[in-house]
Amino acid sequence: MIKLQNVKKTYLLGDEEVHAVDNVSLEIKAKEYVSILGSSGSGKSTLMYLIGLLEQPSSGKIILDGKDVSALSDSQLSKIRNLNVGFVFQSFNLINKFTVFENVILPVKYAKEKLDFDPEARAEELLKKFGIEGRRNFFPNKISGGQQQRVAIARALMMSPKILLADEPTGNLDSKTGVDILNILESLNKDFGVTVVLVTHEHDVAKRTKRQIYIKDGKLVGKYL
Amino acid sequence: MIPYIHLGKSAFADFRRNKTRSLLTALGITIGVFSVVVLISLGLGLKNYIQQQFESLGANLIIVLPGSGFGGQGFGQGLIGGAKFDEKDVVDLKRVPNVDFITPAFMKSTFAEEGGEKFAVTLLGIDTDAFKLMNLELLTGKEFSRSDNEARAKNVVIGYSLSENLFEAPQRALGKSVAIEGGRYKVTGVVKKKGDNEVDNGVFVPYKTTFSSLNPDKTFFAIHLGTEEKENVEGVKKGAEEVLLRRYDEDDFTVSEQSELLGTFNQIFSVINIVLVAIASISLIVGGIGIMNIMYATVTERTKEVGIRRAVGATQDDILVQFLSEAVILSSLGGVLGLILAGLVVLIIRFFFPASMNILSVVAAITISSAIGIFFGVFPARRAAKLPPIEAIRYE
Repeated sequence: MIKLQNVKKTYLLGDEEVHAVDNVSLEIKAKEYVSILGSSGSGKSTLMYLIGLLEQPSSGKIILDGKDVSALSDSQLSKIRNLNVGFVFQSFNLINKFTVFENVILPVKYAKEKLDFDPEARAEELLKKFGIEGRRNFFPNKISGGQQQRVAIARALMMSPKILLADEPTGNLDSKTGVDILNILESLNKDFGVTVVLVTHEHDVAKRTKRQIYIKDGKLVGKYL
Repeated sequence: MIPYIHLGKSAFADFRRNKTRSLLTALGITIGVFSVVVLISLGLGLKNYIQQQFESLGANLIIVLPGSGFGGQGFGQGLIGGAKFDEKDVVDLKRVPNVDFITPAFMKSTFAEEGGEKFAVTLLGIDTDAFKLMNLELLTGKEFSRSDNEARAKNVVIGYSLSENLFEAPQRALGKSVAIEGGRYKVTGVVKKKGDNEVDNGVFVPYKTTFSSLNPDKTFFAIHLGTEEKENVEGVKKGAEEVLLRRYDEDDFTVSEQSELLGTFNQIFSVINIVLVAIASISLIVGGIGIMNIMYATVTERTKEVGIRRAVGATQDDILVQFLSEAVILSSLGGVLGLILAGLVVLIIRFFFPASMNILSVVAAITISSAIGIFFGVFPARRAAKLPPIEAIRYE
C-alpha cells in the first residue's frame, strides 16, 4: 500500500546536517499491523511523519497505492492526508477549545470533496464504539487521559483512512489504560481491517504487532539493539 | 474551503478564552471608526446647516465683500485685507442697472442691556431693503423707515429670542427701549423666529444711526444687492464689478452670487472635514497594528493547534483563511461597535447641532474595518500557514 524507496530526511541543526532518516526503504501492506521500534532520537517519529505525508523527504520516493507522492504540492498532500491517514499522538493532541464531538468531526471540515457518509452520524457512532458517547459535549481537559486517547482514535478514524499511525499512543497513560488503547488498535486491525503502524520505544508494546521494524540513528537495522 | 460556520465558531471559541484581550483589541478599531464616523457626520451636518442658512436668504442676491475673497488667494486673506466700503459705494452701486434693492451691512458683536440683564447680540446696521433681501419678516410691530435712517433715528428691530430674553414676549417689546453701548434705542418691531442665532439674537439698526457712535468709521463689512428678475443677476454682478473697479483694485473686493458663495463655503468645509477625517484615520491604523500584534501572539500560542489541523488535512490556505477570518471578525466587531457608539453620539449631538449620518459612513465604517482586519491580519495568518507541520505539532 505504501512504499518508501531510499528515503532520506536531513535537517540542519545549526551548521550541522542531521540525518533523521537515512536511506530507508520499506513497504507497509494493506491491513498490516506493524510497529516501528527505536529509542529516543532514533528517527522513528520522523519516519512515521514521512509515512503519514506530514513531512516530505529530502530525497527518495514515497509511493502510495502505486503513485509517487513525494513531490506533490501542499494542498495535494493535505488532501491525501485528510482522506487516507489518521494520526494518534502520545500527548493526544486534541483542541481544548472544542468539545469531544467537535474534535472528532474536525477532519470533515477539511474534506475537499463531497462526503459519502453523514459526518454527524459517523462521529456519534465512533464515540459509541469507544464508549465515550457520554462525554460528547465535554471539553478534552475535563476527561481522563484514556478517554482523551479514545477521542483521538475516533478522530483519526473519522474519514475511514487507509492507514492509522500511532506515535507512542500509550506513552502518557498508566499501564492498564495503555493496554486498553493497544487492544483498541489491535481490534481495529483485526476486526475492521485498518492498517495500523505503531511507533514505540517499548519492546513489550512492539511485540504485540505482527511485524517489527527496527530503527537506529535513522537507519533500519535487522534487530533491536 | 472550510465551512464558514466552523470558522466563526472557532474564532468565537478563541475570543471567549481571551475575553479581555479580544475586547481591548477590538476597542482600538472601535475608537477609530467612532471618530471617523462622528467627524463625517459633523461635516455633513455643517454642510446642511450652511445650505439652510443660505436658502433662508432671499433669492437673486448678490453680495459684495472685501478682499479677493473666497475664490482666489484664500479664505483668511479675503476677510482680513481688502476694501472698506462706505456710503459712496452704496450710492454708486445703486445706479447699476436693474439693482432693485440695496443695503449696506455693518456688523458688530456687542451686548444689549435691559433691567440689569445683559445679552450678547449681533448688531446689524442696514437699510430698509435689507428686510426684503435677507427675508426678515416681522412678527409684530413695523420696520424702521427710510426717513428713520436719514434722521438717524434710534429705532431698532430685534430678533425673536432677544425679545423673549429682554421683555419675556415679543409683543411686550414694542415701544420699550434697550441699551447698547451707552445709547438707548426704541424697539419698533420683532422679527419672526428663524432658527438662525444671528437673526434671532440680532439687533437691526438703521445704518446711518450707527454712524454716531457704533460705527464712527462709517464703513461696511458688506453690501447686499438684489434684483427682481433672475436673468438680471449676471448683469448686476458685472455692473457692480465695473463700478467698484473705478475705486478699488481687483483684489480688494469680490462680487458673488449666493450660489457661488455656498459652493465656496462647501468647498472650504469639505477640505477641513477631509483633513479631520484623515487625522482620525490614524487611530484606525493604530487599531490595526493592535490587531496585528495580537494575531501574532495568537499564532504563537496556537502553534500546536495549527499542527493538529495540518495533520488532519488542513492545507496552508485553510490555515491562512482561518487566522485571517479571525482578524477580520475581530476588527469588524470593533467597527460595528464604533458605528453604534457613533450613532448614539450623533443622536445626542443633534439636540445642539444638525449632525447627520448617512449610509455612506455606515458602509465606509464596515468596509474600512474589515479591510483593516485583512490588511493587518494577513501577515500573522501567513506565518501560521507557513509553520512546518511537524514543528507545530511538537510545539509545547
